[in-house]
Amino acid sequence: MEAARGIASLGSKVVLVELRERLGGTPDSASYSSFTLDHRKVSDVLASTREEVESNPLIDVRLQSRLTAFEGKAGEFKATLTNIKGTSEVVDCASVVIATGFQHFDPGRETQMYGYYEYEDVITLVDAEKMLSAGKFVRPSTGEPPKAVCFIQCVGSRDRRIGNEYCSKVCCGVSSKEAIEIRELVPDCKVFVFYIDMRMYGFWEDRIYWKAQEEHRVNFVRGIVTEIIQKDGRLLVKGEDTTMGRPMEVTMDVVVLAVGMEPSRGTREVGPILGVAQEKHGFIELTGGSFDTVGTSVPGIFVAGAAAGPKDLDDSISMAGAAAMKAVAIARRPAVTA
Amino acid sequence: MSTIEPGRTHEEEHLEFEGMDISGHWNRMFEQRVIWEHDTSTLDKVTAIAGAESLGYCYQCGKCTPACPVDHVGDYSPRKIFRKAQTGIDLFTSPDLWLCTTCMNCLRVCPKEVNMISIMPAVREVAVAEGNVPPELQKAFENTLNHGNPLGEPARKRADWVADAGAPVTILPKEKRPVDVLFYVECYWSYHPRGKDAARALARTMAALGVDWGILGHEEKCSCDSQRLAGEKGLFEMIAEQNIATLGKYEFKRLVTSDPHAYNAFRNEYPKLGAEYPVQHYTQFLAPLMGSLSWKRKLDYKVTFHDPCYLGRHNGEYDAPREMIKQIPGLEFIEMFRCKENGYCCGGGGGGMWLDSFTANHTRERLSERRVKEAIETGAEMLVVCCPYEVSRFEDAVKSTGNDGKLLVRDVIELVDEALH
Repeated sequence: MEAARGIASLGSKVVLVELRERLGGTPDSASYSSFTLDHRKVSDVLASTREEVESNPLIDVRLQSRLTAFEGKAGEFKATLTNIKGTSEVVDCASVVIATGFQHFDPGRETQMYGYYEYEDVITLVDAEKMLSAGKFVRPSTGEPPKAVCFIQCVGSRDRRIGNEYCSKVCCGVSSKEAIEIRELVPDCKVFVFYIDMRMYGFWEDRIYWKAQEEHRVNFVRGIVTEIIQKDGRLLVKGEDTTMGRPMEVTMDVVVLAVGMEPSRGTREVGPILGVAQEKHGFIELTGGSFDTVGTSVPGIFVAGAAAGPKDLDDSISMAGAAAMKAVAIARRPAVTA
Repeated sequence: MSTIEPGRTHEEEHLEFEGMDISGHWNRMFEQRVIWEHDTSTLDKVTAIAGAESLGYCYQCGKCTPACPVDHVGDYSPRKIFRKAQTGIDLFTSPDLWLCTTCMNCLRVCPKEVNMISIMPAVREVAVAEGNVPPELQKAFENTLNHGNPLGEPARKRADWVADAGAPVTILPKEKRPVDVLFYVECYWSYHPRGKDAARALARTMAALGVDWGILGHEEKCSCDSQRLAGEKGLFEMIAEQNIATLGKYEFKRLVTSDPHAYNAFRNEYPKLGAEYPVQHYTQFLAPLMGSLSWKRKLDYKVTFHDPCYLGRHNGEYDAPREMIKQIPGLEFIEMFRCKENGYCCGGGGGGMWLDSFTANHTRERLSERRVKEAIETGAEMLVVCCPYEVSRFEDAVKSTGNDGKLLVRDVIELVDEALH
């Protein structure tokens, strides 16, 4: 949406292709509560952006549509779009911005023994967001407010065994943000974050991490959890407190798995259709190095946001702006290919 | 390097505590020594060894610690091994080097794939070359070299168990003919009294099934997988070449073995030496045939099952032994809390079988002792196993933990045999 808005603001026409029946992507479909680091409500921000995009005469929104074929070169691409009814249409375009995003890691693939599909009270960041956006936080099994909650970091990220070797970038911040929200909603509840390294770069350090620890008394413990078992109706969390070098077996009411990012189905599928290189995990490969944050292996095709790898909100929005500028540049001067 | 800095100890001249006189050095307290150097020479030496590079990958998450069976009875786990190496403690002369059973539960959960199954044998190989081997392990190596088995039993007696089998067993060197199944008996089923019970039970079951099978008799030698993992790669390669030559003399359609360690060797290691066999663990061979047996009686036992590390985690087979247990009439089966992928180790793998006293001196409890307690906790009266190391390990552990009479240990083949007669 941000890239389309950027292109339109530069005065160019843009076709926005969306697979879902509503614009907003994963933050919308997964009912995110509030943005990290921006604390505004996700539903409010998305509603106003959506309205702006849909009412802009330069933006042609195609919902429930997908790219099914693609040919041509920068300045004169032909994209075949197919809608849910099966009707296809060929659209001429000078350039393309990929913004197909990510999907959450499925904890069923976790190599640890976390029992996401076994224990009701083992949930993910996404499940927690859903509860928090509804203004509550309870034990799913009982509907009662929890007395102790913990987050387990790096679930499905930084893991050679699982095959996701990257850091998902946002989970440390999102967990800390959710921890704050839980402490606000359930002040009697103790909240722990079990981590390998807290990756709170820039202002995330003081505005989320320190805030969680100092103002909201969230407890950060270094050492990750190996297994979760149910004991007397609660969850026994077993791991190692690595700074103490001691095993830990602590009881929790809710365990939140900090699941990371993986390329979305759209990201995986669109790469081969467009003919752009994908890095080994399936994200769209950025080929321009540090000085080109949106360029792909094909001139005239750009990428914005988590389609290119784990990205936070600020990165995604910045990339959308950069991609919009470069896409419009090609539309105006087809000889320019980057 | 001195571990105590002068002036950093504290001592009360006169002190009494709960009526006890602890004056002077009896109450001496040591203050923590400041780390003034991180001696990385051990880590550098370890990671320079081919196969041991990944010790240097550890990022200290600690996931391996609760997964490590040895950490439950000591202060161990790959995370700690890495950290100790990083602080300069010499792994090559440390008892830590010999405590790992190569059970692979750490690798299962390790996000960085720090591979102790590769690290431990590689580092041990260097220690062996440097002459730093616990004497009892050295004895097992010598026995293997001299007699073809770690127990030190005479090679010519390897097939003596056959005499009391109560069923015909073809000994191929005596009766040269092609067979469908070449059964690799392995050392503990050949020599250990309880192992021989299982071998005989197998012979009777094979007869009941009408399987055309034979054994190598005195020509069979240890497959040597555990010797390899304990650091004697040279011995492994030498004996393996001999076994490959022996197997080459006979015609068979498939190789079946009693021992998950031998299964691992034939499946994953012998091919590296150019010898590939269609190989199965005996539970894999027998499980699909169970339906054709005519059972004579129901066994009224409440049983639980212990997964061998080298059948389960190392080779992915969890179902075959369970399928056999399910087919034996009458058994009530209870799963232990730690099972399948997360199964606890008996302590016998990776050379642990021959380091019993050594390990006992450096841990609070034997892994087998911990495991039998877990088995008893399920309410089962019988622990069913399918690895030749385990019957004797667990029977000893039942006694040493004072649980005599509370838990029987049986190989699954013994139960099949019992229900057939």
